[in-house]
Amino acid sequence: MGRLTSGRTGKKFLAVTGLFVMGVMLLLPVFVALPALAGGGAPAAGGPPPDVVAAQEAEGAEGEEEKVEIGRDVYYKTEGPVVGAPAPKTQDTPEFYPRYNFESRVLLWVANQQHLYYGSFVLAVPIFCMCIEFAGLVSKDKAMAKKYDQLAYDFIKISLTAYSLTAILGGILIFTFLTLYPAFFGYLSSIFRPVMHIYALMFVAESGTLYIYYYGWDKMKEGMLKWLHASMSVVLNVIGTVLMFLANSWIGFMMSPAGVDEQGRYLGNIWHVLHTALWNPLNVHRILGNMAFGGGVVAAYAAYRFLSAKNDEERAHYDWMGYIAMALGVAFLIPLPFAGYWLMREVYAYRQQMGITLMGGLLAWLFIIQATMIGILFLTTNYYLWQALGRMTGGERFQRYIKYFVFILVVGLLVFITPHTIVMTPAELKAMGGQQHPVLGNYGVMSAKNGGINAIIMTTIASFIWYQRGNRVPAVKWAKFGNIFLITFFVVAHLNNIWVACYGYFIPANVRIGLSVPQVAGTLSCLFIGSALNLAMLKQSRELGPIRWGQIAPRSQYALIMLATAFTWMMGLMGYIRSSVRLFWHVNEIMRDNSPWAYTHTIGFGANVISFNVLFFWITIMFVFWLGALGAKKAPVPATQPVPGAAPQPVTGH
Amino acid sequence: MTWLKLVEGYMPMQMISELAGSILIFALANWALNRAGMGIPKFWAGVGVWIYIQLYLKYRIYPPIPFSVRAIYGTVSACGIFMWVSGSEDAWQEFKRPVMNVMDGISGFHKAVRTVALIVIPLALGGFAYTSFLPSFEEPIELRTVHPAPPATTKVHGKTFVLQVVENPYRVNNEGKYDQAYTDARIVEQAMGRLMKDVNDPNYNPWDPNAEGYTKYVREGGEIFFQNCHFCHGDNLNGRGLWAYAFNPIPANFTDAGTIAQLQETFVFWRVSKGGIGLPGEGFPWASVMPPWEQHLTVDEIWKVVMFEYWHTGYYPRTWD
Repeated sequence: MGRLTSGRTGKKFLAVTGLFVMGVMLLLPVFVALPALAGGGAPAAGGPPPDVVAAQEAEGAEGEEEKVEIGRDVYYKTEGPVVGAPAPKTQDTPEFYPRYNFESRVLLWVANQQHLYYGSFVLAVPIFCMCIEFAGLVSKDKAMAKKYDQLAYDFIKISLTAYSLTAILGGILIFTFLTLYPAFFGYLSSIFRPVMHIYALMFVAESGTLYIYYYGWDKMKEGMLKWLHASMSVVLNVIGTVLMFLANSWIGFMMSPAGVDEQGRYLGNIWHVLHTALWNPLNVHRILGNMAFGGGVVAAYAAYRFLSAKNDEERAHYDWMGYIAMALGVAFLIPLPFAGYWLMREVYAYRQQMGITLMGGLLAWLFIIQATMIGILFLTTNYYLWQALGRMTGGERFQRYIKYFVFILVVGLLVFITPHTIVMTPAELKAMGGQQHPVLGNYGVMSAKNGGINAIIMTTIASFIWYQRGNRVPAVKWAKFGNIFLITFFVVAHLNNIWVACYGYFIPANVRIGLSVPQVAGTLSCLFIGSALNLAMLKQSRELGPIRWGQIAPRSQYALIMLATAFTWMMGLMGYIRSSVRLFWHVNEIMRDNSPWAYTHTIGFGANVISFNVLFFWITIMFVFWLGALGAKKAPVPATQPVPGAAPQPVTGH
Repeated sequence: MTWLKLVEGYMPMQMISELAGSILIFALANWALNRAGMGIPKFWAGVGVWIYIQLYLKYRIYPPIPFSVRAIYGTVSACGIFMWVSGSEDAWQEFKRPVMNVMDGISGFHKAVRTVALIVIPLALGGFAYTSFLPSFEEPIELRTVHPAPPATTKVHGKTFVLQVVENPYRVNNEGKYDQAYTDARIVEQAMGRLMKDVNDPNYNPWDPNAEGYTKYVREGGEIFFQNCHFCHGDNLNGRGLWAYAFNPIPANFTDAGTIAQLQETFVFWRVSKGGIGLPGEGFPWASVMPPWEQHLTVDEIWKVVMFEYWHTGYYPRTWD
């Protein structure tokens, strides 16, 4: 007994020490970088570009006298000492833009996009792991707890190989920058020098935590150690999120620079450089986007395993995995349009012309493609859920109403994707009597589009509620009242949505933008109140039969694969749009892009490169999936029959 | 089907309502036929609904919808119908049965249909490929950017205007201060047409001899409009002026919700000042013959005419606060 107690105390001590070490690891990069932060940064790292060197030499020759020059922040309008070099004024020469006999921008585009795909994936998956591992920890059902634990392990296993690929692609990206855009990258790294160091150190911390988390899974599977293991996932995700925020600050600076004067000279305040006008909206939008994307990719993995499964047990497991991944992905997909709306609003507030270029001008057609992709995501999600009803006894009760849901979804989507600038032949233009169509033109504006997407989202929420009820009938005393309330709630939310969408045409734009609040509030109320009420009603419910995991139509799995492909394509598209909106600037209004590729590609070319990126990602991720399956196939070596002379075998419990 | 008019001001909702109504009638008819034991097979129901939607879009909506939009609508409605017919396993089996019967050739009739299909489908695809490769004499499609992004600043008559922050100096209240809400309350009302709120009140009727301040400036803007702009943009500001059809594309229709209603007043000021020739690179193919009005009008006149356009159409300029 005494030995048992001392063993427990030892484990507790180990756990507390472990947590302390993790905390120190987390803060270490910040401490290391403190001197750099305090120093405020010095002139360009890696050697300034030639024109800057010449300017500095000329300045030095004029006089040795030291004086502190004060500059004015282009965004914050505060004053600060000039401590950085001005942004280089590049020219179209190999000195500033070394090149192969190929468009450097496309090379950089591909390297960047691939790194982003993998980066998003490995940032999202540990968040899922964290949620699922905690779900397993708090679950009272032992069998279920084990299932959740296995699922979390399956998730992290996929992300581990992807993590190595992310690092490799990150290296390729840096080399591409250094070799093809040295002047630009030199300038950017001179501004972000301390941040880049923190980034690198955080990456080390992330790797260490991830490896301990993965390889310690079996060793830390019980008691306090299991809690320590789960806490490690929190640390892992905190580091991952900070990493992403830091990387976002670079693109935020390129789009909406701050912390520098008009010449691009750093003014010593690193927070201003980080905290640009678009940093926070980008952070929120990206974190939600990554989660939705990660869910999609894992769901596609599960679908692939389901379709290639050899027995019912495997099929049941991957059916369940696909469902969980899809549900997690969609949970983050639902608020994503609202985060996107906020980002666009901030873009308009920052620079009107940037907003118009995006949504009304040069890039507007890409937004129509984006709307189509969003529509595909939601429609596919609904379709999957309807298919999933088929594996539940009692699910057929709901399937007869599918046609009405289809109608709302299709009408919502048609309004959502109607272009403002219609593609037409001159003959059609003449027949139409002008650029705007008197009927469809009204669908081309924001008021109608908000109505369309909210109708789609509310229908998706209703499909989820159906799904939750698939094989169950509420048995609470107030079930009838609850059902009437729920239906009324959704009907009122839809009517409110339509009314606000129509009313938006008759009021000033600033009021109209504010009207999106009641629209979104209606949708979110459906999500939170509707789901909560439904769950409360199902607390006491009569089960009509079990969920027959694995007995789902293969169509549903193709839907999951389509969902993931649409996510990937849309992510590539939106990255292209976000980057293109700077037009001929490396750093908006600070550093001009004078390379021969400082023009906007045609939509067709852009779409082809995006498709190439999507294809390349899926080919490589298939390799990652294959590796994951390869590990799973390895037969465990029985501990009782060691192979004579062989090295100790790794734990194969998982 | 032009005898059944689309009602101006209600057209977008009318189109959706008509489609919803027709689908409901189809559903009720199908339900009744099913009850009578004469239900329409799902395959034909799906194909029928899709054809109905295409015919509706082609023949009911006027002016004609360009093909690119009909193609988008056709694809989305086909996806919707697929979701409906394959939403449940039973429905999917029912839907694909006629197709499988033909593929399997379960009877002489089905075999004949299969043979015809195997001949007609490749021929149709070949014909489509052949015609799409034939040289066409139609003007090429131009994806025109109707509202290119404006510059951050514009210089008119030697003065620089920062478009993000500049305000119309004539959009003022009785005290002569810039007041968007005050002027918004005095524009015409959009209902079944565009009407002044009170013809007898000089606060609402710019042509009242006692009109002062904002309404007086609107009248002055109106005079400038009818002296210079209405030949192309029309006396109803709907882009149907006397000379409108001499141009391709015809001039902008300000009464459409997609033109000035979507723009800041400063955007319109910039476009009027610089005209088609001042469009930025993004405005390719620069298909606008509007003159640069800064060569003919003063800055004040341009501001007044812009304000008149908003007043007359009943739209509010876009603002961001």
